[in-house]
Amino acid sequence: MHIFEGFLPSPWWQIWFAVSIPVIMYGIYQMNKLVRERREIVPLLAVAGAFIFVLSSLKLPSVTGSSSHPTGTGMAAILFGPAVTSVLSVIVLLYQSLFLAHGGLTTLGANVFSMGIAGPFVAYIFYKTASKAGMNFYLNVFLATAIADWVTYVVTSLQLALAFPFEGSVFASFKMFALVFATTQVPLAIMEGALTALIMKYVVQVKSDVLVGLNVLTSTTVAKLKGAME
Amino acid sequence: MTHILDDYAVLSPLRYKNNWLKLSVVTFGILAGVSSNSPLVPLVTAACMSFATVHFGKIPSGLYLRLLAGPAGFVLVSAVIIAFFFGEGVKLFSFDVLGFTLGVSSAGLNMALLVLARTLGGMSCLLFLSLTTPMIELFSVLKTTKLPDSFIEISMMMYRYIFVFMEVAMGVKYAQTVRLGYKDFRTSFRSVVMLGTNLFIRSWEQGEKLYVSMNSRCYDGKLTMLDEKRPVKLPEAVLACGYFVLVMFVFLYTRGMPLI
Repeated sequence: MHIFEGFLPSPWWQIWFAVSIPVIMYGIYQMNKLVRERREIVPLLAVAGAFIFVLSSLKLPSVTGSSSHPTGTGMAAILFGPAVTSVLSVIVLLYQSLFLAHGGLTTLGANVFSMGIAGPFVAYIFYKTASKAGMNFYLNVFLATAIADWVTYVVTSLQLALAFPFEGSVFASFKMFALVFATTQVPLAIMEGALTALIMKYVVQVKSDVLVGLNVLTSTTVAKLKGAME
Repeated sequence: MTHILDDYAVLSPLRYKNNWLKLSVVTFGILAGVSSNSPLVPLVTAACMSFATVHFGKIPSGLYLRLLAGPAGFVLVSAVIIAFFFGEGVKLFSFDVLGFTLGVSSAGLNMALLVLARTLGGMSCLLFLSLTTPMIELFSVLKTTKLPDSFIEISMMMYRYIFVFMEVAMGVKYAQTVRLGYKDFRTSFRSVVMLGTNLFIRSWEQGEKLYVSMNSRCYDGKLTMLDEKRPVKLPEAVLACGYFVLVMFVFLYTRGMPLI
């Protein structure tokens, strides 16, 4: 859920930039470390970012009638971890605002925080703990992606509520924004979760070495998942 | 999804103007919009920027209006919420719904109008940038900043591959549509999944090929780019200064003046 250009008033867009920039710097530091180790990661990351951009511009068949687009951030978090995802999401969000007029430049900080940092971070933690606990891989991907979307939507509502408190109460306005946007965001998150889980299913079938190479799955789990399909 | 704004920017006559001039015009408009307390300032910037985009940038006005209406869904919903619940004080009008009294106070209405105007102003500044400046031009601007090389490299390659994958995605989508792949909810969901998977696998193979091909052409972690020098011409500078003065004047004149 993008906040559009000019929507956040003056103290708030600076605050969200101030919150996001240190995380992005850390992400760039992590990414540079990866690049020094394996130089082939640069084109791979670029291609992955382009994939996220194109995926997010696909229209999902929607239940409520509004147009809904997947964000792709949950998937990126599972594949690359939250630090690298935050860097990729900065570029993707910048391109979305410039190429599709989705989002904005002053609101980039707030959007990066909700979509590139908070959502992927929570999704990654969920994914890691659940996979340690032995949850089914596809169910885990479904839940992690849906959670990434929900966290993004809750954080966006909070950002709007902080900027526009009702009668001095942030909580009242948060409730209102969250309630209204829930009608589109809750089904969207479920759709995107299902989409990502199914994509992962086909990727395991056709090209599982990618997932093993990224340390998303071990080769024994892949063998088990493939065995379960036959 | 058929056209992204960069396609129009490449054809725009304003493409050959100085990048820094365009960027400063846009930044100024955006900053004036978000820091003003009166809806007039963003409305003035919106009018100026829309005129510049449509008249100097030769963007079809129908397309431009459709783009401005893009954020309408999100913005209108939020503005209505703000109008009804923001601010206390005397209600301008109110009505009862299921035992709750809903009312619009003047503070709320002012805030909603301000937010609407700011979004309009901000979006028209952003559209001016994205409809007149192709990303290739902005890369040379990015190169002069202190951003790390790997970040810029990745954004450049990502830019290239967005077009490649867009084309693949569109081809697959057409093929699916003519085979009734989007006839109802179930099949369209299945089609989107197939499209996403195919794109993922294809992009991965592309990435591996890209590394090999770049390596065999002596890629050492740096893509060099030469940018053209385009000095600012006098009429452009005068026009930009006139715009700055106008917006500053409106900004100072309307400070602290509510609309209603």
